[in-house]
Parts: sequence; structure tokens; C-alpha cells
Amino acid sequence: MGDSVAGVATRARTSEVDFALIGHQESWRAAADVLAVLRGPERTPLPDDEIKDILPWIPPRAVCHVDIGSIVGAKARGLYIDSFIPPDRLEAAYVHENIARVRGAAACAIKAGAKIVSLGGFSSILIEGNFDQLPERHDTVFTTGNTLTVAFIVQGIKKICALEGRNLRRSTLLIVGATGDVGSGCARCLAPIVSRVLLSARNVERLRRLAAELQADGVRVEIAADLQRFSAEADVVICAASLASSSLLLGRIAPHALVCDAGYPKNLSPRAEMLGVTVFFGGLGQITGGMKFAPDFRGVLNRHPFPDVVHGCLLEGMALALDGRFEPFSRGRGSITQERVEDMETIAARHGIYLAPLYNADGPVEDIPRGSGPAAPLS
Amino acid sequence: MEPLIDVNCSAMECTSLLASAPIWQDILAQAMTGEVLAAMNYASLSEICDDPAEVADALEHAEGELGHAASFAAEGRKIGVDVANNVDAKHWKRLREAFLRCIAERDFIGCLIVQEIMLESFAVASYSRVGKVAPGSLGETFARIAAEEEDHVDHAMSILRTERALDPQRFDDKVYRLHLDVMTTLAQMLAKECRDGHCEVCHASCVKPALFDVSLSAAELRGASLQQYLKTLDMLGIPGEVTLTWVTQLPV
Repeated sequence: MGDSVAGVATRARTSEVDFALIGHQESWRAAADVLAVLRGPERTPLPDDEIKDILPWIPPRAVCHVDIGSIVGAKARGLYIDSFIPPDRLEAAYVHENIARVRGAAACAIKAGAKIVSLGGFSSILIEGNFDQLPERHDTVFTTGNTLTVAFIVQGIKKICALEGRNLRRSTLLIVGATGDVGSGCARCLAPIVSRVLLSARNVERLRRLAAELQADGVRVEIAADLQRFSAEADVVICAASLASSSLLLGRIAPHALVCDAGYPKNLSPRAEMLGVTVFFGGLGQITGGMKFAPDFRGVLNRHPFPDVVHGCLLEGMALALDGRFEPFSRGRGSITQERVEDMETIAARHGIYLAPLYNADGPVEDIPRGSGPAAPLS
Repeated sequence: MEPLIDVNCSAMECTSLLASAPIWQDILAQAMTGEVLAAMNYASLSEICDDPAEVADALEHAEGELGHAASFAAEGRKIGVDVANNVDAKHWKRLREAFLRCIAERDFIGCLIVQEIMLESFAVASYSRVGKVAPGSLGETFARIAAEEEDHVDHAMSILRTERALDPQRFDDKVYRLHLDVMTTLAQMLAKECRDGHCEVCHASCVKPALFDVSLSAAELRGASLQQYLKTLDMLGIPGEVTLTWVTQLPV
């Protein structure tokens, strides 16, 4: 008994860390898997109804340590902190409660001595317009991680076009959730290299402002709050809306369109019928210098069909930590430019953080080349 | 004829209280049992204290807990029910035995951890929830006692933090051992259903399914208690990832 007690405490004792990742689970299944790891294999997993009863009461806290490596030999130590936002409470009705949870998670990161904190999923959506609501920062900086997310979405679009022999320059690009930080960043990066841009979002005033910005650079832009108005004309679609659940129905879109679902939770409804359309999950990167969880949450916290794949928003903090650049690279809303995206891509690539192999709910959407797995494990 | 309901509440609340009196009777019985047990624990603690000031402090706490028990009994009388306590009921008895093991080892810090960190977390959280929904003076009494119990925790916290600073690893190991003993019992008490038979405190059948009738639920009381416990452990400085594992491994 004494050994196991000491073992638990020693293994997980928090010491100074370089980075922290703040996240939450996108489904009850994912939450159940996290709790199952914490309970250990010798205990019966908690029944689903008990998980739904217990999880909302768990205060934000660290779940595991994350050690990462770079292809140039740099190493960084981090923590994954879960805000324990219940997967069915992402709607606007819970916004104050959820901001409080992200603040609590941020306080955990500060207490752990993290030098940089990346905000994953809804954490960044909640905070991108409310940075002043984060606790006093001391020596800790926060980044939404949205710049690297944009980089991987754009890279993914370019890659799938190349794989399918599409000419992006002749494409009509539709961005759903266009006025968000990620959506507007994608618009700025892709607008100059497509034929026409269609922007959709709920806030018409923000849509007009973004359209005017792009039109000033000579881009053909149309806007609509009602997505159905022009979805049929799009042959490349980016779904980057802040949806609390997978509920987006694109309606009629062009046959053989390419659709990048970059939401967390995923935007597209499982009921969406899109015959002949290629869908892939966007905004994901792969860390090839090694990543180790303690306790071992591989495949549980990063539920992807390839090893060491992580959302871009979280990878941004890791890349900056490996680079020793403890700065709030992405903050606020609407300030992601092509230049900033290229800077972030360079930092990430320097440490072996690249676009992840493309996949969707049915599996890979490309032939996976050799070497897409992780490099040597961390010693 | 004396009115049966004598709490300070509206006519509608009083009618509702009359209908729900058997539920409040059981809630009060659980609370009163916890207070009597706490009084016994503090009295026992006074016997292992060397410092006269600590002895006086423990006895004062014991008196305070008996005062809380009396307040709960008085609230029962106001709604026309007898509030019994049973410190020999199976779960409460095990909690008392866990405390007495610390007494036998003259482990003052262990006693504080069991009483102030574990049992009081449960009391503060559950009384606060009851205080929010119970009408009139019944609710006020639960809320007042929750606040007083919270003061106890604050008092113990400074002693325990000082102790932890001396040897965090040793301290955390001790908390974990006591957690396995005490919190396992508390988790069984707090389970949504009493699957292993009658708790020996409720006056008839188990009160848990009826808690919805008074805007409470067993799941809510358990959730609030575990949350309070985790926050209290955070205040002690035990790493959150460690205590998360402890709590998720408890029985449900």
C-alpha cells in the first residue's frame, strides 16, 4: 500500500512546467474514457448516468503531464488541464459558468508555473473576446492557438486540392463561421488564391466589415447570414462555426465539393447527406519529435486515427514552448493575418510539428506515406 | 390548538412543509447524527491534546457541534417531527471507527484530516444545498450551520498547511490512506441509491428517491460534497491531478 500511495503522489506531483493546455471533452464518450483511465483498469468503468452526474461537479484541474520533443532536440514539459465543461453545456446559456471554468483552469496553469498556456476548443472561443477575464497573469502568457489552427486548415485545403487535382484558383470558397477568429483568419489567407469568397455568419455587421477588408484587396466577396442562400455555389467549404454540437446542415453544395470541418465539437451534423463530397477534419497537426502523457492518455485525450495528432490550437502553445518563445502569439479576435500564419508555420515546422494526415469519421482520406508516425519516443 | 408548523414561512411554504415533513425528518436525522458524531470526535480529540489551549479548543468545538444537533432537533419540532440520531448506524459507525483509529495512534493531524477535511466538506456542501431549498427557519438553520462549519475548516487549514510544508510527500500519503478509509464510506453513504440495505438513520424507507420532492437529489448532494472536498484538498496544496484520481476511484 505504502508504495502505491507514494507512487501516485510522486508520479503526478506538479513541478514547474513550460506550457499548459486547457481543454474539455467534446462528447460524453470522450469524458467517459478519460474517467476510465483515471479509475484504472482494475475498477469497473463508471456507468454513463453516473458520469453525467459527477463530471459537472469536478472543478477545473490538471489531468496529466505532457512531455514533448522537437526534431532539433529541444524538450518541453507541460500539463493538460481540463476545465470539465460538460459536453452538453456548451450552449450560450452556460457562457458565464463556462468562462468561470476556463478562468479556474487558467488559475491552475498559473499555479503550476506554466510559462505559456494554449486554450483548446471552446476555451479559446469563450476567451478570445474576453482576455481581460483571465486571472492576473504574473509570468504566464495565454494564446488562443488559433493562428496554428488556421495554418493547418489552410494547409489541409491546399493539400487535398493537390491530391484531387483541383485548381484552388478556380474555386468558390465558402466559410461558415467567417467572422470568428479562425474563420476570418482562413478568409485572409485563402481569399487571394481563390476565384470567389462566400462568407456566412450570424453577425451581419461583422460580415460586412470582413467583406470590406477583403474587397479592398480586390477579392470577389459575397456575404449572407442565411447559409442556404449560396451554399450550392461553393466547391470548397470551411466549417469553423462556434457550434455547441454537431448540428450543421450545409444543404445543397456543389457536387464533388471539398469540405473541411474544423469545429470542436465537429460542426457537421452526422445527418448531413453530402454524396460525392469529400469531407476532412481540419486544423490538426502532428508532433513528430515525440509526445508522452503521464498517466498514459494516448488516444484518449487525442482521439485521432494517427499517433501524436493534436489540435492546432494546443500545438501552438507546444511549438512556442519548444522554441522558448513565451509570448501571447494569438489573442483577441480578428487579428490573424497571412504573415502571422506563416510565422507560426515556420516556428512549428522548425520543431517537427506539421499538418496531420487528413482523415474523417470514416478514416483516412489520403494514402498515408511512410514516416507519418512519430519519430523516436522521448527518452 | 398549537399549530403543527411553526417555522417562519409563507402559507404556501407551510403547506408544502407539512406534506414533506417526513422527508425533512430524515434529512434532519442525517444532519443531527453527523453533528453528534462530530461532537464525540472532538471530545475524543481533547483526550489526546497535550496543550491546554488545544484541549479547550476541542471541547469548545464539541459543544458547538452539540449546539448544531440541538438546532436541528428544534427545527424538527417546529414541523412536528421527532428527529432521532443514530451514531451506531452502519456508515456513521465506520466513520467513527476511522476517527478512533487516529485517536488510538494519538495522531492529532490524522484526526483533523478526517474531521475537518473529509467530514466537514460533506457537511458544508450538503448543508449549503439544503439551506438553499428548505423554507423558512429550516433553510436558515442549515445555511447558518454550513457557514459555521466552514469556519472550522478555515481554522484547521492553517495547521494542516503548516504540517504539509514540513514533508509534503509524507503528508499526502497520510491523506490518501485516510481518504481510502473515510471517503470510501462517505461515497457509499452518498451513492444515488442505498444498494446495500437500509442506512439505519432514515425513519422508514430510504429518503433518497424522495429528495426530488424538496428540490434536492442524492446526485446533487454527492456532487457538491465531492466538489467541496476537492477544493479543500486544493487549498491544502495537494496536486489537483492526484486528488482527481483519488476521487474518480471512489465507489459509486
